[in-house]
Formats: sequence, structure tokens, C-alpha cells
Amino acid sequence: MSIRIAVGQGSCGIAAGAQKICSALEPLFCQSDITIDTVGCIGMCWLEPIVDIYENEALKCRLVQVKASDAERIAEAVKSGDMAAVADLMITPEDNSFLEKQTRIALRNCGIINPDSLESAKAAGGYSAIGRILSAENGMTPEEVIECIKVSGLAGRGGAGFPTWFKWNAARQSPGEEKYLICNADEGDPGAFMDRAVIESDPHTLIEGMLIGAYAIGAQEAIVYVRAEYPLAIRRLEHAIAEAREAGLIGKNIMGSDFSCEFRIKAGAGAFVCGEETALIESLQGQRGMPRLKPPFPAAAGYWYKPSNINNVETYANVAWIINNGGEAFAAMGTEDSKGTKVFALTGKIKRGGLVEIPMGKTLREVIFDIGGGIREDKAFKAVQMGGPSGGCIPEALLDTVIDYKKLAATGAIMGSGGMVVMDESTCMVSMAKFFLDFTAKESCGKCVHCRIGTKRLQEILTRIVSGEGKEGDIELLEELCLAVRDGALCGLGQTAPNPVLSTLRYFRDEFEAHIRDKKCPAHSCTDLLHYKIQPESCKGCTLCSKKCPVSAISGTVKNPHTIDQNVCIRCGQCIATCKFGAITVE
Amino acid sequence: MSQIQFSINGIPCTCEEGLTILQAAKENGIEIPNLCNDESVRVYGACGLCAVEVTDDGRGKPVPKLLRACSAKVMPGYVIRFDTNRVLQSRKIALELLMSDHTGDCRGPCQLNCPAGTDCQGYVKKIAQGDFHGAVELIKEKVPLPAAIGRVCPHPCEQNCRRRLVESPISIAFLKAHAADRDLEKDTYRPAVAAETGKKVAVVGGGPAGLTAAYYLRQKGHAVTILDASAKMGGMLRYGIPAYRLPKDVLDREIAEIAQLGVEMKQNVRLGKDVTLEQLRGEYDAVILATGAWSSMNMRVPGEDLEGVVGGIQFLHDISSGEGEIPDLTGKKVAVCGGGNTAMDACRSAIRCGADEVYVIYRRTRGEMPAEDIEIEESMEEGVSYKFLTNPAEIIGENGRVKQMKLQVMELGEPDASGRRSPVAVEGKFEYLDVNLVIMAIGQRLNPEGLDQVTLTRKGTIEADEATYLTNLPNVYAIGDATNRGASIAIEAIGEAGRCAKVVDSALCGEMKAFRAPYYSTKTVTAENLADREKQPRCEMPTRPAEERRKDFAPVNLGFTDEAVQQEAKRCLECGCHDYADCKLIRYANQQEIHPERFDGVKNAAETERRLVCIERNNGKCILCSLCVRVCDEVAKQGILGLVGRGFPTVVKPEFNKPETILVCKDCMKCAEACPTGALRILIDKK
Repeated sequence: MSIRIAVGQGSCGIAAGAQKICSALEPLFCQSDITIDTVGCIGMCWLEPIVDIYENEALKCRLVQVKASDAERIAEAVKSGDMAAVADLMITPEDNSFLEKQTRIALRNCGIINPDSLESAKAAGGYSAIGRILSAENGMTPEEVIECIKVSGLAGRGGAGFPTWFKWNAARQSPGEEKYLICNADEGDPGAFMDRAVIESDPHTLIEGMLIGAYAIGAQEAIVYVRAEYPLAIRRLEHAIAEAREAGLIGKNIMGSDFSCEFRIKAGAGAFVCGEETALIESLQGQRGMPRLKPPFPAAAGYWYKPSNINNVETYANVAWIINNGGEAFAAMGTEDSKGTKVFALTGKIKRGGLVEIPMGKTLREVIFDIGGGIREDKAFKAVQMGGPSGGCIPEALLDTVIDYKKLAATGAIMGSGGMVVMDESTCMVSMAKFFLDFTAKESCGKCVHCRIGTKRLQEILTRIVSGEGKEGDIELLEELCLAVRDGALCGLGQTAPNPVLSTLRYFRDEFEAHIRDKKCPAHSCTDLLHYKIQPESCKGCTLCSKKCPVSAISGTVKNPHTIDQNVCIRCGQCIATCKFGAITVE
Repeated sequence: MSQIQFSINGIPCTCEEGLTILQAAKENGIEIPNLCNDESVRVYGACGLCAVEVTDDGRGKPVPKLLRACSAKVMPGYVIRFDTNRVLQSRKIALELLMSDHTGDCRGPCQLNCPAGTDCQGYVKKIAQGDFHGAVELIKEKVPLPAAIGRVCPHPCEQNCRRRLVESPISIAFLKAHAADRDLEKDTYRPAVAAETGKKVAVVGGGPAGLTAAYYLRQKGHAVTILDASAKMGGMLRYGIPAYRLPKDVLDREIAEIAQLGVEMKQNVRLGKDVTLEQLRGEYDAVILATGAWSSMNMRVPGEDLEGVVGGIQFLHDISSGEGEIPDLTGKKVAVCGGGNTAMDACRSAIRCGADEVYVIYRRTRGEMPAEDIEIEESMEEGVSYKFLTNPAEIIGENGRVKQMKLQVMELGEPDASGRRSPVAVEGKFEYLDVNLVIMAIGQRLNPEGLDQVTLTRKGTIEADEATYLTNLPNVYAIGDATNRGASIAIEAIGEAGRCAKVVDSALCGEMKAFRAPYYSTKTVTAENLADREKQPRCEMPTRPAEERRKDFAPVNLGFTDEAVQQEAKRCLECGCHDYADCKLIRYANQQEIHPERFDGVKNAAETERRLVCIERNNGKCILCSLCVRVCDEVAKQGILGLVGRGFPTVVKPEFNKPETILVCKDCMKCAEACPTGALRILIDKK
């Protein structure tokens, strides 16, 4: 019987302390044939660090929120085979349902295999698809590969949802010998981290997907553009590329075929706009990351103005599975319009946040409530922001919207890269819109007028609204400017930057009006609009709040009701937290 | 290459296949607005001004997105428009956004504050260069009577001249008068007159407004007739302004210049008496009413009908029209009521007529007087006494003649709507002043004779549209003192007349174009901003001694020398943008109505930076089109410049923000030549 102890060590697991657990476990097993293995991220963020015990490669039990101090009793339990001693660490059936309700294709190996081991990847079926394509007897032509992808209905998972086969075909059809295949791993959306998880947990699946793409379009070089903020992903991908090259899976005459493809990594320097494909290409060429006008599209004139294809990580991560299982199998999942599965990064005020891969066609309610377990502290759900800074929010009334490119777009949100930020009643939607505009205004490359100045002005208008200086007519001005920026901006960043404003205006217009007209924040979140008051009838004059107040805004004498000087108060809320009598209220 | 057919704004076009929409438009003689495009460099697509809508892609379907004409290729059958609401809105917002982050003065405060919009900076520069004819040519684009106006104008240009923040304003008005005098001496500038249009225009009133309207309409080739009720042309300039300020021969010469263009001038024709408006409307294609405001307002106090009480306008008119006959006021005591420029003209004229004592009765204090300070100053030198904080309560007579004035003593109360502290009567406190003549100079109003069919305002002035100058009657326009807000300074009337002439010309040519105030970018400048400027004292106008000048109506001012004028003109700070005439941004900003103030917010720092060689870069005017960066890279093959920073604060700097990069600059100036705004300036003369 072989026993493997797998410690989840994606960036998230490591941040939660997984390496300390490894260090604690390793000496306890040095004399045994039980192996301590590194795996990537299973996607259950709230349970990190996670330690899985495999017996004969079958998962025996999953321990969660493990601490280094638990190492000894885990070792005892594993060695004795009696896991009851660590029952308190075992994942609950409820939490486990988070995984059970998913259908994992892109994430199929994440958190299960060792990302630093080609062997481990191969054992999980890695490189079987490219092997089949390149096999001398029953191989596939590039056209057949493209056809298979066409049948699958796979669409770009980076945000735009453009049919993958179409791009591949266009790049294939573009005249020229020199072609490039590029992976966009510049995952910049706040709240999206599935691409990082795939690279950190299963880099060979990405490499294989890219090899298939390169074969399909006729590229001789594949480049992964990864943001430098993902050092672990870069390290694991570098390692994987080296291993694959050594094994003849990258380079000249791959697997003995005529197909040759070189691989390299380019670390992006941190500009959000470099996730836009033409800006990414400029950056790859060593230029300032600024979008180009389209057309021409990259398929015609991309990297060094040669035919190029760009897809994101998740898109490529589906490819090998589709080749292995057939386009039809992938297309069998999902809706009329959107096929296969999609990974979502579920974050915010959610009980169970993490990576969720589900077939298209499920409802938002299923993802947020069934899988995510609903809102933390059982507060009321308010909205979910889909698609990050380019997306929009979806209110409670539309929670039964089916996950599908078109259906989501109809709500004013987008599928986007799959960021799903859940907000509860305490979130101010105006502040939320402002947050995203702060982001896009900062991340605008500065090239086109509509985006450079337009997002700045949008941000300024929103800032004055949340600080209680909104003016009558600001809503209309916001709308007018939003539509103009959407129509006039050069690239996707600018064109979609107004979406968070437009969609919050669509569903939460009353909150904007309350800020502007009544100078009130209904969510009690905009500090400039809050007034902390001590109710004299409830105040016992204990003086605790006045002692706690960091700016000495509270005055009063012992056993007499205290008062807060509104001009001094910084609305930090410490007084409320201190008061034992509930005498302090916020308006 | 085969030819393809398409249309732009409804105009059928053809071009070779493969051109961008922008190139195709250009080939067909159509300019689509654009700021960042240049044929010499690769397509960039930043400004967004060239957005077009394709309402039919040649297959019956519209293209859903707006296309950038600089990059989108024209396709057979395309129906391209850049005049749709969607396109105009997109361009409007782009221009508003650009302007909301633009720091610069398109034109100097002198010009912006001139009611006629005279290019003061332009003509002052020409004067500095000694080019008086050139200066007059520039002035006469807006003001046909510079020698007269230069002498009498209260010059809002000077009041707003930025040089006042350094020490004192440029003497703009006198410079203008000097240039005009020199121009009138010989080789007088004469504008061209266009071919006859066959259209006839009647101008009623030969004052500054009427003369101006006639001057510009005549240049357009229309047959213009001025009908004036007086014996000579000039209106208030002749009959309202004393000769010691404006010698009549100067006025005569300037009017003669207008006449020589072919303007017909008819004297002694009074509307309502000698000719009716009805007749004029029948005879002419357009009628412009510029009759002025010739009646003095009454003070509404008892005794106004006594002998010896006259209106200020009447008093001045009598002196000026007397053909040398000046009323003799020797031994008389005169009270002039009012604190404006008419009161000044009246009191100083009274002194010149020999009056023993002249008093100005004004209900506030000197600080609130609307008259020009120099006028008050000079009147005092000439012996005028002031009775501030008094108001006429009654004019007391004897045998039907003025004997005494009862004056209510006033004090200053709260500020009124104009910001001036309003005078309040001190109850029961009066003063008495023995006088022989009372001149009422508290305001003017229109004499509505012959205007029966014309709608008047509640103030009794002619109601004229602010943008078309049209009255209620078709083809009848009205301008100047007779209209809307009533009497004002001559340059106001001249400005209005110039704008009205354009409207009338457009109407006569078939399509009336209403006046729209041009958009200008402006910036705020404080004394601190100008602290580094060397102080150069203003050239003061030499005058005759008060004792001498108070005896006659000869000019008070002695005039400048050519040298003094040029020296004075060189003090100009040249606030207006050097590139105004060629600036594409301001041209587009004026093609449609824009309101950048809607997007007022943070602006990028507007520092000026002198590049190594002879280029000055003004960041406040940079629109980040990157043409300088791209031209340096792609055309000059230097790559010296780059964009630094991201988003709103992005700025053009030496590449990678390394100042030493600039050292390799070859001084080719291609960057400055490519700049579509005034952000880059070649300083060859300062090299």
C-alpha cells in the first residue's frame, strides 16, 4: 500500500502556512516510504492549508485549515491508519460539497498532481492529446484539430468569449511562414486567479494546450506572457518547460514528428492593459504597453506584425481534454450559446470562496448559494460583480440568470475572465463603482483621449458623489460620459471601463440619488456621509468610548451622556465597537 | 488597383481600394477632423476625433461600432457619415475632455475682454516691429475707426492686461491710435471690396455701430447706404465726445476711409420724419437699425423743467454741432449730475466754456464712479469740484430759471447687485448749492421715433436677438446703444456691428448663420507666476498743462513718438498662444458647441520646459497625440522622446525619463512641426 501526503502549495496555500506544515511533516516521515508531495491549489481558499492523504492514489481523507502544530498527530494517524485522531481536521461534508458540485476540466489536475513533476502530469494523462495528434498512424491534421475545437464550441475564456477555432483558423489561413502562438497569462482582473492556479498547479496542461494550438496554426514559437506578480507560477512554468524540453515535448521534432515548437516565458511588468492582446504584443516586442488599433487583428499582423494567435490560460487548459474526449463531449455541456465549463473565482462576502468550475448553464444562484454557501454572517445578498473592472453587477432579482455569454451580457455584466465578487448589504454600490474606476483610471495606458481623460473624469464625479459633494445632474453626466467612453475608447479596457458605473446606475440608481440628494449612504459605508451619534437616553456615561476615540472627538463627564463632535469625528467606528450599551448609532 | 465608390456625408466619392477612410476622404477633398494622424508615421488612433459612422456597409447593414477613419479601410458601397448625432457627440466629448485638461490661453486677456474681440496682442506685436500699416490691417478686421477708438475707448483690454500684474498694463489704446494716425498719414490701409452682390442694405444711423456694419458689409460686396439724422456722420463719436478727446478731423478722415469703399452716406435723413421704416424695408434687402440713444434720462426731481436744466447729451451735442460756436458760460456756476463718462465730458466741457465753478454731483464716492480714473483725475486738475455722497433732491428756480439745487446727503450702505455699496439717504440732511446751469448726465435712452412697428424692451430699447440681431421684423436688425441693454461704450457697439454684419451677410447669401461666441481655452495667471519678469515702466501719455488745456477744446494728449510706441509695445507679455492660427485643436473645438467646464477636474501640471536646443515645450497644451514621439522615432529615426507614466498623468519626456537622452537631438524640429497644438514652440529667434 502506497501512501502519499499531498500538501496544497499554490501561492494561496503557501500564504496560509503550507510550507511550515511540510517542514513539520517531512522529518516525521523520513524513515518511512510514505511520501510528502507538493500539489497545487484545489481552489478551496477558505480551507487552506489543505493536506490530502492518498492511499494507493485514492483520496483517503482531506484535512483542512491544518496548522504546523497538527503535524505530529497527523503523522501518528497516517502511520497507524486510524484517522479518527484527526477527525477535527477533516473536511466537513458540507464544505466538501463545494468540490462535488463542480465539473472540472480546466482545473482537472489542480491540487491533485505535483506541478513540478512531468511524470505526475503524464500519469494524469498529460501529453496524451498532443501524442495522439502527432502519432504517425492515426494522427490529426491541423485542420482536423481546428475542426474538433470548432465542434467543441470552445470560446475565449479571457473575457471576450470569441470562438477559439475562428482565431486559430484565421491565424492558420494568414499568409506567412513565421507565426506565433501566445498565451495571455497577464491575469489582471482584481478578484480573478484561476489562471495563476492552473499555472501553479498544472503547468503541463497549459503547455500541452499551447502545443496543440501551435500545431493547429502552424506556429514555430509559443510564448507565455505571465505577469511578474506571479513568481511561483513563473518558476513552476519554467521548470515544466525545462522538463518538457528534456523529454522531447518541446523543441525540434516533437515526439519524433515534423512538428517543432519552441517555448519561452515573458514576464509582464504589471500593467493591467497588457492583458489586452495588442498591448500585450507591444509589450512582448519591448515597446510601451499600449494597444494597437484593430484591424488588423493579431491573426493577420500580431507579434512583429506576423500572424499570431492569443488565448488565455484557461482556454488552453481545456484544449487537451477536448482532443482526448472529443469536441462533442465538451459541447454536450452548457447552453445553446455557451459550451463546456467555466471557472469562476468566487470572492467577496461569500462563505466559501475559491475556484469553482461548473458547466455553462447553471444559474448564478447555484454558484453563490449552493456551491459558495451563501453570504458570510448570513447577511443579505446585494449584488455580484462579474467580469471585474470591465464587467458589471447583477442584483438579487437576476440571480436566476443562467451562466451563458449572451444571458450575462444582457444583464449588463459580462462573463469576463470569471471574477465573481459577491457583495452584501453593507457594500455601497457607488463606492464599488468608484473602486473600479479608480482601478481603470490608474491602469489606463494614457493613449486615447476617451479613456485617459474620460475615466479620470468619471472617477472624479464618483469621488465627489461618495464624499457628499455630488451635484444635481451628476447622474446624467456620468451616463453621458460612460456612453461616450464606451463608444470612443480605443481598446477593450476603455470601452468596458464604464460598465461598472452603467450597471450600478441601472440597478442601484436610488443609491446614487441618496448620495447626491439626501447626502446619505444607504449602506452606511461612505464615511464622509456618516454621522455617529450618542443616544443620550442609552448612554451611561461610562467614558469608555471617549477614551477609545483616536481623535478625542467624544466629550462628556462621568455618568452623564457623552457627545460626539462631528467636525472632529473621523468615522472610524471604534466607539460603536466599544460601547456596551448600544448607545451609539450611525446615520 | 480598382476604383471603389462610396459616400461621405452624402457626397459621392471614389478612390483606389485599400485606402483608409481618412485618406479616401482627403482624396475627395473632405477633411475629417483628426489630431493624432500624420501620413509620415504609422497609424496611432489616440485622439478619437476621426470617428465616423458607417450607416451602410455596402450590403445594407450598418457597422455597429464607430470606426476610426485613420485606420479603418474604406470598402465599396460604404455610406460614411461624420455628421451624425452619434459621431458629433463622440467628438464633442473628446474635445471637451481634451479641453478639460488643457491649460493655456488661446488668446490674451486683452483680446478676450475687448467687446469687439480685437487682436490686441497681434497688433501690439506689429507695432513693436514698427509695422503700423500691418497693425492697422489687423485692427481693421474688427474696428474700422482705430484712430477714434484708440483715443476714446475706456479700453477693457488694458484693464485686463496681464502686464498689470507685473507693474502696469500696456498702453494698448494709445498704441492703436498712434498706429492709425501714422497709417492715415500716407499709404493708408484699404481693404479689398468683393464683387457686387446686387444686395442692398440700409443702415439707419451713422455712429460707430452703423459705420462699422456698413464697413464690413460693403467689403462683402453689398450696396450699403447709411442714413443719418445729423449734418455729419459719426454719431456719438462726433456729437457726444468733446474735441479735446477726439479731434473732429481725425474722425472725418476715418469716416472718409469708410466712404471710399463705396458706402453711400446720406445726411439729415431722420427715420419717421424723412423716411419710414416701411419704405426702407421695401427698398432694401436688409435694414440695420443703429440709431443710438440720444435722450438724456430725467432725474425725476422737482424743477427739471426749469430753464437752465439740460441733458448731458444735449449739452455736448450743442457744443460739438456749433461749428466752432462754443456756448459762453463765463461767470456761471454749473452742476453736472452723474458719475459716468458723459458726466466727465460735460463737466470738462463746461470748464472749457468758461464756467466759474463746475460741480459734479454724485451720490456715491469716487471709488464707485463708473467714469475712467484718468478722466476724473484730469477734470480735477482742470478745476472741477466734486460733491460726493449727494443726490439732487430738487432744482429750485427763480422766475422760471435755475437758481439753486437742493442736495440730499447720502451715505454708503450694503453692496447692491453690482457689488458697489449702494447709497442711502441720510434722513433730513440736505445741502444747498447755488447754480445757474444743471446738466443731467445720469443715463441715456432711445428716442423711439419712427420705430412704431418694432418691439421694444421694458427699458424702451429695441429688442434684438442676441445671436442674430434680428428685431421682430424680418430682415430688420438692430445694434448698438438703441438695443437691449441700452447705451454702452463705443467699442461694444462696434463689436456688435461687426458680428451683425456677418449675420446679415450670411442671410443675404442665402443661409443665415447666427453668431456663436467662440470657444477659447484660458488659464489663470497670478502675480507670483510673473514674479520673474523684469519691471519696465509704462509709457505715460504726455498731456498739455491743465491751466492751458482748460481754456480750449484742443487735444489734451500730445501723443507718443514712434520710438516710445515701439518701446511700449515691446512690454507685451504675449499671453495668447503663438500657435492659435494653426492650432487644429481650437479649430475643431469651434466647429461645434462644446462645454468642457462640465468636466472640470484635476489638470496636469502645465510647466514649460526648455529643451536643450531651441524648442520650448508647454505641457499644459500637450494633448498626448504622441506625434512628436512618433515623428522623432519613425521619421527622424532618433527615438529621443517617449511617454512616461500611465493613465491621466502620462507625459512626453525624453525616452525612459532620462534627460541626457536629449543630448543626441539633431535639432531637426520635426517634432515641433508635427505638433497639432501650441505645445511645442520653436524659439529660433531666442537661440
